[in-house]
Amino acid sequence: MPLRANLSLLDNIALIPQYRRNLDYATAAAQAWQLLLLTGHEGAALKRDPLLNHEERFVAKLLRAAIEQPPIILIDRPALLLPDTHYPPFLQDLLQRLADHLNDCWILDYRWNAPLYPPSLAPR
Amino acid sequence: MPAITNFLTRRGAALLASLRVWRATLELAGEVVVAALSPAVYNSATRTVVMKQIYFTAVQILIPFTLFAALLSFVLIQIVVSTAADYGLSNYALEMVVRLLVLEVLPLVTALFVALRSGSAINTEVALMRIDNEIDALEDSGVDTLRLEFMPRVIGGLLSVLSLTAITSVLALVLAYLAVYGWQPHSIPDFNRVMGQVFVGSVVVGIWLKPLAFGLAVTVIPVAEGLATPKMLFMVPISVLRGMVRLFFVLMLIEVASLAIKYF
Repeated sequence: MPLRANLSLLDNIALIPQYRRNLDYATAAAQAWQLLLLTGHEGAALKRDPLLNHEERFVAKLLRAAIEQPPIILIDRPALLLPDTHYPPFLQDLLQRLADHLNDCWILDYRWNAPLYPPSLAPR
Repeated sequence: MPAITNFLTRRGAALLASLRVWRATLELAGEVVVAALSPAVYNSATRTVVMKQIYFTAVQILIPFTLFAALLSFVLIQIVVSTAADYGLSNYALEMVVRLLVLEVLPLVTALFVALRSGSAINTEVALMRIDNEIDALEDSGVDTLRLEFMPRVIGGLLSVLSLTAITSVLALVLAYLAVYGWQPHSIPDFNRVMGQVFVGSVVVGIWLKPLAFGLAVTVIPVAEGLATPKMLFMVPISVLRGMVRLFFVLMLIEVASLAIKYF
């Protein structure tokens, strides 16, 4: 889902419960802030999309998906969004921090990238 | 003969494609107006997005554009007032200034400014969203793109044109008063009498309708053009170019229609 360029990272995450459950901005922003604190990216909360680096943009998109706690989240070829990051450890850390907010999370990646992943994210 | 057939086929296909975009533009304008007038559409998310859009389209450019409009108004007022004095028509200078600036020049300049600043950006954004399949992704996940993506942009543009026109028009009236009567308050009744002569009922209706039409055009046309962009990255500049030409044509058409209604 695309981020809105004229909203901050925090507003982009808060927009999802605002849209889905008609939550008022303050409540939705508080939920978004809690998730940002968990991931350790609260410093980027007020940045807008053009100023975000790849990791911050990835976190924003993941939190937009996670904030409504859907039954499953599918991360499709993470390297496309994280071109300059050794992404398996980054993903592992991020998913551990969000463990209480995620139900089931699947990572779809090319088979030849399987050796990159740590055992806790072992390919199935 | 085959060359003529090919030529006519190509021209016909181009004409049909152009007509399709015009039809899509009119349909989108209708859908956006209906959505914008439906209170149910304004949930928490839509309100947030609309407010941000208004800020970026209208508030952010308020000071620079007002300064520019003041300079333009000052120069035009001086030209009209001094020319009227040269021809012994000083009594009509104020009326001429108001008719020229407030009714014609400022609404058109405002619409052109918003079109260049926001219209081109909207066209590019929507074209890129379409090429990156973002619009499809939003719709697949159950998001109403009209309500969350397009309507806020249209409302932002509409309010931008309306508010900037109103502010610069008031400023032009103040500058006109100062240019004609000088720095003194005793001529306010004379000024009011001239305003009463200019702003009759139909003119007041026109003052609102024209910027409304301009505001709708500067946002709906770029959105429609962006949505009609073929899914190839190199088509983005062509889409923006087409959108801006189409927009300029429509703005001029609205201006000419407004002049024709007013003066014929």
